[in-house]
Amino acid sequence: MENKLINITIDGRTTQVNDGVTILEASLGAGIRIPSLCYLKDVSHNASCAICVVEVKGARSLVRSCVTAVREGMEIVTHSPSINQARKMNLELILANHPKECLICERNGNCELQDLSANLGISETPFPQTKPSEKIDDTSPSLVRNPDKCILCGRCIAVCADVQTVYAIDFAGRGLRSKVGTYQNRGLGNVACTNCGQCALVCPTAAIVEKDDTEEVFNDIYNSDKIVVVQTAPAIRVGIGEAMGMAEGALVTGKMVASLRKLGFDKVFDTQFTADLTIMEEGYELINRIKTGGTLPMVTSCSPGWIKFIEHFFPKSLQHLSTCKSPQQMFGAVAKTYYAQKLNIDPRKLVVVSIMPCTAKKFECRRPEMNSAFHYWKDKLNLADRDNFYDVDYVLTTRELAKMFKKTGIDFSVLKEEEFDHPLGISTGAGVIFGATGGVMEAAVRTAYEVITGKPLPKIDLNVVRGFEGIKEAELDLDGTKIKVAVAHSLKNARTLLEQIEEGKSPYAFIEVMTCPGGCLGGGGQAIPTTWAIRQKRADSLYKEDTLHTIRKSHENPAIKAIYADFLNEPLGHTSHELLHTSYTERGIY
Amino acid sequence: MNTNEESHVDRSTIDEIISRHKGKPGELLTTMEEIQEASEFKYLDMQSMDYLSSQTKVPLSQIYSVATFYSFFNLKPQGKHSIIVCRGTACHTKGSKVLLDDMSSLPGCKEALDAGETSFTTEDRLITVKTVACFGQCALAPVVAVEGVIYSNVTSEQMKKILQNLQEDNKDENIRLC
Repeated sequence: MENKLINITIDGRTTQVNDGVTILEASLGAGIRIPSLCYLKDVSHNASCAICVVEVKGARSLVRSCVTAVREGMEIVTHSPSINQARKMNLELILANHPKECLICERNGNCELQDLSANLGISETPFPQTKPSEKIDDTSPSLVRNPDKCILCGRCIAVCADVQTVYAIDFAGRGLRSKVGTYQNRGLGNVACTNCGQCALVCPTAAIVEKDDTEEVFNDIYNSDKIVVVQTAPAIRVGIGEAMGMAEGALVTGKMVASLRKLGFDKVFDTQFTADLTIMEEGYELINRIKTGGTLPMVTSCSPGWIKFIEHFFPKSLQHLSTCKSPQQMFGAVAKTYYAQKLNIDPRKLVVVSIMPCTAKKFECRRPEMNSAFHYWKDKLNLADRDNFYDVDYVLTTRELAKMFKKTGIDFSVLKEEEFDHPLGISTGAGVIFGATGGVMEAAVRTAYEVITGKPLPKIDLNVVRGFEGIKEAELDLDGTKIKVAVAHSLKNARTLLEQIEEGKSPYAFIEVMTCPGGCLGGGGQAIPTTWAIRQKRADSLYKEDTLHTIRKSHENPAIKAIYADFLNEPLGHTSHELLHTSYTERGIY
Repeated sequence: MNTNEESHVDRSTIDEIISRHKGKPGELLTTMEEIQEASEFKYLDMQSMDYLSSQTKVPLSQIYSVATFYSFFNLKPQGKHSIIVCRGTACHTKGSKVLLDDMSSLPGCKEALDAGETSFTTEDRLITVKTVACFGQCALAPVVAVEGVIYSNVTSEQMKKILQNLQEDNKDENIRLC
């Protein structure tokens, strides 16, 4: 957009702002943060809450600053008795139908409605409740919706429709019975929802939250018969600091490891180890597909929201998915076989907990096929079907982990940094960048190039696939073999690439898809708030951590070399096939 | 609910309705309206909505949003006869609540309406009773629509007579009261 400057007056002072910006944005530049509630930059501008009202000279009534663009000569007043009165009453009307049980609420201390009530100095709620109570939707293994806490701001609907093109939810009903609903009130668990959790990430209140599994994890930690190991996704080390009150994007790997040990986990491992393993398997799979004329483009399979998306909306294209499990699931399978064997312990005693920036991982770990370790041990230990156990027992989000730290009084920011345990905690810089959009592609290229060409990679940083552009593409020269690759984040962009594939027009050999905007660092389980500015800081931290690793290529990871030498034999080999690869389900839209 | 399962608008009818409105403004609303009209029991059954969504690529959540927003749309099978009682302010002050209470001769009706439902259908699917917020006929309050015909200044006695006629499937044209 052209940056034409226009003159406006805000609270009596003339200022120059870009033409086309809203009053709310223009005021920010003038040092006024107009109170707002339903508005969320880049996501939603429903103008439903009427908190951000201001006076504009000549306007017949107060105007909503979040959706009103500035005009040359506009005279704006951002606070006055009538504005303050209107905002207060509009908020009181919203509060009439919102529970006042903040003390026992999931979002206590991190709630935009609570903050706004404090900021506007609300001291009483004069209006009685008029909305009938609605049933809680706990049909999803990932997310819980409490309609009574919903203020109908519409952010969740906007993110689900416009950012993800999933359309699992929309307004249903009318008047006092209006609510955010699923088709036929079936519940999120019974419609085409990808469990991405972006709705929970943008919800200003606790109307949508992740399903809380912290109590189950505490129980196992306190159970002396269990050996509880934890894996942390790359994006946690740039998200958990925020959730513990540190700076945005704070890189806290060592403190996180120390805190997890303090919490009582027997071993603290790193999903980055299996990210490196994924690169080996996926890299060889890609090379194999290119050499043998297999289905191309091959698309990454790390992101479980994306997996469910393609299963629902593009079931005919499932053969394009890499058969590799996600790093989380590879970790579970390896921990309960390779590692259990190494320690000579009963795999049933081993509890695998994942800390993920992701709500869809909760669904993923309960997919019926994610029990490879059980099958591995079934004959060896003479197990019956009823002894079935999953590779990953529990998935906790960044936010749930913060809850556990706070509950136990772990003084996160002052703890001394510690190292991950061996061997499943050894990783490379390639594993780190899995947490950012483009990271899997870059990591894959670092390995695939050297495997295919047999030569060292001339330049390790693949800047062309970094950054937050919706779809990034690049042409790679693998020593004479030229391939085109693409990287998409947000399901809207993934949909574009999939439609291209289904039309037979996809020019790519390899595509990376991440469900959430920015990749896992912007995942639905991450610290709230997550904005584009915050995503950038988290990405900067991840790329910084990459450079801090002495080894930055997955195939050079000594622990990866060891697991192939001692256990897996070779990428795409028989054991790999049993433990590290998977299949998909045609779901369709229902 | 067996009848419910059996009753759905056939696909060719839906295809025809969709193609007739394709690309026109307000096509979803009109299409849904005509599918409901084509339905034997005047409602949008689940199969029809699923099919409509798959053919038009309008997400199910949006179809459901529209269907639940407009009181015109029915998500349950409707009775053969319909009575719509206006619950607007004018009708209320002129006694429309009493008219609703008169429906207590239909088993379960009063309970359903008191519980906040806006629609009730008798088990034999003979009569559906609905309420609306306002007909815009306030000068004639209380107002009731029977089979789409507006009746004004309705009294309790007249209401009972209407009900009796419908229950007996009586095509008595003298029912016209105004």
